[in-house]
Amino acid sequence: MCKSDRKTRRKAAGLLLTSSVVMAIPSVLYAATELEQLKQEVEQLKLDVAQAKEWSEPYSLIHMAGYADVGYISDDNPATEDSFSVGTFAPIFHYQYRDLVMLESELEVELAEDGSTEIKLEYLTIDWMMSDNAVLVAGQFLSPIGNFRQNLHPSWINKLPSAPPGFGHDGAAPVSDLGVQLRGGFFLGDMKANYSLYIGNGPEVKAEIEDDGAGGVDTIEFDGVEAEAFGADADGDKVFGGRLGIFPLNSLELGLSFLSGDATVTEYEGGDPTGGNAPTLDGINGSAYDVVGVDISYQRKALDLRYEYVSTEMSATNIGGFDLEAAEWTTWYAQVAYRFLPSKYEAVIRLSEFDSPHNSSDQEQLAVGFNYLFSNNFIGKLGFESNDNPNAGQTAYDRWMLQLAYGF
Amino acid sequence: MKNIFNRNRLGLVIGVVLWTALPVVHAADFPEKGDFVKGAKAWANNCTRCHNLRDAKELRDDQWITTTFHMRVRAGLTGQETRDILTFLQQSN
Repeated sequence: MCKSDRKTRRKAAGLLLTSSVVMAIPSVLYAATELEQLKQEVEQLKLDVAQAKEWSEPYSLIHMAGYADVGYISDDNPATEDSFSVGTFAPIFHYQYRDLVMLESELEVELAEDGSTEIKLEYLTIDWMMSDNAVLVAGQFLSPIGNFRQNLHPSWINKLPSAPPGFGHDGAAPVSDLGVQLRGGFFLGDMKANYSLYIGNGPEVKAEIEDDGAGGVDTIEFDGVEAEAFGADADGDKVFGGRLGIFPLNSLELGLSFLSGDATVTEYEGGDPTGGNAPTLDGINGSAYDVVGVDISYQRKALDLRYEYVSTEMSATNIGGFDLEAAEWTTWYAQVAYRFLPSKYEAVIRLSEFDSPHNSSDQEQLAVGFNYLFSNNFIGKLGFESNDNPNAGQTAYDRWMLQLAYGF
Repeated sequence: MKNIFNRNRLGLVIGVVLWTALPVVHAADFPEKGDFVKGAKAWANNCTRCHNLRDAKELRDDQWITTTFHMRVRAGLTGQETRDILTFLQQSN
């Protein structure tokens, strides 16, 4: 090979190498860019995963639940007209920190007949999860006496459009209280049990004066026990009570409740008709206040049976020389519901009776209902109540009710 | 006399609270995890006692936490039952 050929070859090799390097540069640059983008995507992915985990497992959680119902009521009382109604809007707020503490609060928003809106605090508690078997509930809570008030009254749970007589406000069953409650569940061998114990401000008691027609007092008698939470304890007497529920079978719950303490008359219902001659309520003695309750519930497949009895007693006392006789308020209901599976239709029948010291307030009721479950938490109800009050020699008014209830 | 009686009742409540709380406070930070199978059983046994069963898909995982703890208080569930039911619902939605 001559010298000029070697030179030519070297030039060609150099040219080829230079061309290769020049052509490779864009590819290298492109690969570097791709790598950088990939790194950024991985970092973003890591961030997204971390944020998703934060969303699902934060230490603090906020949640809103609750229920609402609307309806139509038609009764045979000539003094009232049939009307559409907004029953209740009851939002429940939950604020929870880990498995240590939860704040729960339910508001009850109702539309009054005059169009105004009423807002009440149904309950507000701070729940300290002390152990697997005990939760300390402090604040205003639903009464744990019996089962209906604390667990069954929300309209999407209650299988009829109305509460049984005596289980609402001014009835025989306590509604709520303000105090401290310990509650939870435990196992006795294989048998499940739950319990609640509490101390609270207790009820306020009202008395009614019968005047003698000459500006004086003839008699004084107990009018009613308002067993719901008050922001202050007007009589200073606390009450102590609770409930024990046992489950001999998974589908059967037997509950026993009690509530005991002193309660004092704090107000005359309707004021003083004598114009100032009524005895003062300052410094009067309280009298024994006792509540007992029994509740039974049984569920098997499409069948749901419930029974509940509550009795409230006030013992005799004296106000300014006038003796008040002992008084008792009792109520009970028995309910059978059957779901026509696999359809979404459900039939309900409930028999109940409320007996008070005042015959005019007594009530016997037979209620029947026919429901359609659009979903398990959205229910359409058609109900009929046959109401009677033979103790007062009169028939109470029957009524038809339509209701849409939604639990969320 | 009435005040003494009330103080005794308050003392009884405080005693019950301490008696229940103290032996188990330390254990609360190390709870056993939930069990899916036990949770399915506890869900079926407990929830229908008062209301119709709610579908697991109705709520997100985080929403089920507050909901099951709300029901723990309301229905008298044990802590372990609550964690079992929560595990079942979170893995079924």
